[in-house]
Amino acid sequence: MTLQALNPRVFRELERPITTLGRIGDQTMFYGKALAGVPYAVRYYTRDIVRLTAQISMGAGTLAMIGGTLVIIGFLTLATGGTLAVQGYSSLGNIGIEALTGFLAAFINVRITAPIVAGIGLAATFGAGVTAQLGAMRSNQEIDALEAMAIRPISFLVSTRIVAGMIAITPLYSIAVILSFLASRLTTVFLLGQSSGLYDHYFSTFLSPTDLLSSFLQAILMALAILFIHTYFGYTATGGPAGVGLATGRAVRASLIVVVSITLLVSLAVYGTSGNFNLSG
Amino acid sequence: MTTEIPNQVAGPGAVLRTKSVGLPAFSRAVAQPLRGVGGLFLMSADAVRFLFRRPFQAREFLEQSWFVARVALVPTLLVAIPFTVLVSFTLNILLRELGAADLSGAGAAFGAVTQIGPLVTVLIVAGAGATSMCADLGSRTIRDEIDALEVLGINPVQRLVAPRMLASGLVALLLNSLVCIIGILGGYVFSVFVQDVNPGSFAAGITVLTGIPELLISGVKAALFGLIAGLVACYRGLMITGRGAQAVGNAVNETVVFAFMSLFVINVVGTAIGIQMTAK
Repeated sequence: MTLQALNPRVFRELERPITTLGRIGDQTMFYGKALAGVPYAVRYYTRDIVRLTAQISMGAGTLAMIGGTLVIIGFLTLATGGTLAVQGYSSLGNIGIEALTGFLAAFINVRITAPIVAGIGLAATFGAGVTAQLGAMRSNQEIDALEAMAIRPISFLVSTRIVAGMIAITPLYSIAVILSFLASRLTTVFLLGQSSGLYDHYFSTFLSPTDLLSSFLQAILMALAILFIHTYFGYTATGGPAGVGLATGRAVRASLIVVVSITLLVSLAVYGTSGNFNLSG
Repeated sequence: MTTEIPNQVAGPGAVLRTKSVGLPAFSRAVAQPLRGVGGLFLMSADAVRFLFRRPFQAREFLEQSWFVARVALVPTLLVAIPFTVLVSFTLNILLRELGAADLSGAGAAFGAVTQIGPLVTVLIVAGAGATSMCADLGSRTIRDEIDALEVLGINPVQRLVAPRMLASGLVALLLNSLVCIIGILGGYVFSVFVQDVNPGSFAAGITVLTGIPELLISGVKAALFGLIAGLVACYRGLMITGRGAQAVGNAVNETVVFAFMSLFVINVVGTAIGIQMTAK
């Protein structure tokens, strides 16, 4: 005991693997409880789920004033769609095949940019919002109050949000994908002056429905992971207002890593080494 | 003897909290975001001005740079590696189908330097560095520490904002080079060892599309992103509305959103300008 009191840093370093493992177990248990609470939440907190669905897709506070999650994700995908068209048109132009910009929009937008950008947008908007909200509840001892009133806090706060997120993600992602297509088309046809028939031909030839479906799979998995991470960080926030702010930041950081990893893993799993892609038909 | 209040005393709060008297026709929903944007520009101009005015807060600058670098380094690696693999995986599928797998080095280098580098940097500097800055400044604001600074005659913009802005710009610039290196190396490893691209032609392809101008533009973009992320974080942290944990959490949330939004816009504009400048 005295040895530990005299060498706190050494002991902290020695205990680090144990605390890391403990944290992983803690998170896993939290996620398990959150998933197990879903049926109960659907059965008893239906009204809250509806309210949260609206809140998640619109955002809260100042963010709602500029249009909420929907507008922000739409905006981000518009911007990346535009970047893709500008960059693709010029790069393909370098080797004389700028006619294929439409193909690039159909291919890269679906496989890389739309899922990643939508994931980033989700983490920044509804993810960070959820952490801030739950963290504030924890900090104001509202979660303890729920327990004291015999309301299951994980079902009531976490599972409802997960269900609401799963409801909101499909329409949100559809809009994100459509906007990224629109942005690429508008940039290529109106700003860069390619003929619209040429663009549409290559775009529709190479737009594959299975690719789109797997990109929806990516989006749904990402939304689930983001909600898990952000609810966990919010639910376990400590240290007053500053702690809530830091937890929000840490959650965003963690979910950025997860978003990119999920996109990669799903791409590798779905497309495999053959690539599931045929240029010559 | 004039009774003019010296600039040192009137901090950002004093200027920004004054209500605008004009434009009564604007509804509140439109006026509020616009006022926020105006305030941000006002503070940014102040911060840039204070960079050239003594005393420069060198110590704060170094501490903040070290802090941002520390929180950003590991996430940068963890985001950059999968991102690189994803892009070279998709590009190689495409190039192999076109029968141009030898060009995969050109694609990987071009993608890494022009897009992945600045974008990953942005995401991490905004997601890791700016959020911590905003949480820090926000909790100081609600504890009235910023007001105390103003009472002591210290301008918070000079003391806190200017060094933070510069620190996040510098770290973004440095991280960008790291991400570019990871991008090219990761692309090499994945293409050569997993997707059987010829290593010689990969190495030869690296410089086909990517040269000094692209590298410079990428650096400039990353530094700009970093500056803006730092400014947004400081502004939102200083201009916190309300008290308590929810206020700080919301401020951090909005910092991330606004930083990402402005960064994506700058990326479009920067890419277009960069292409115009490097057009051969």
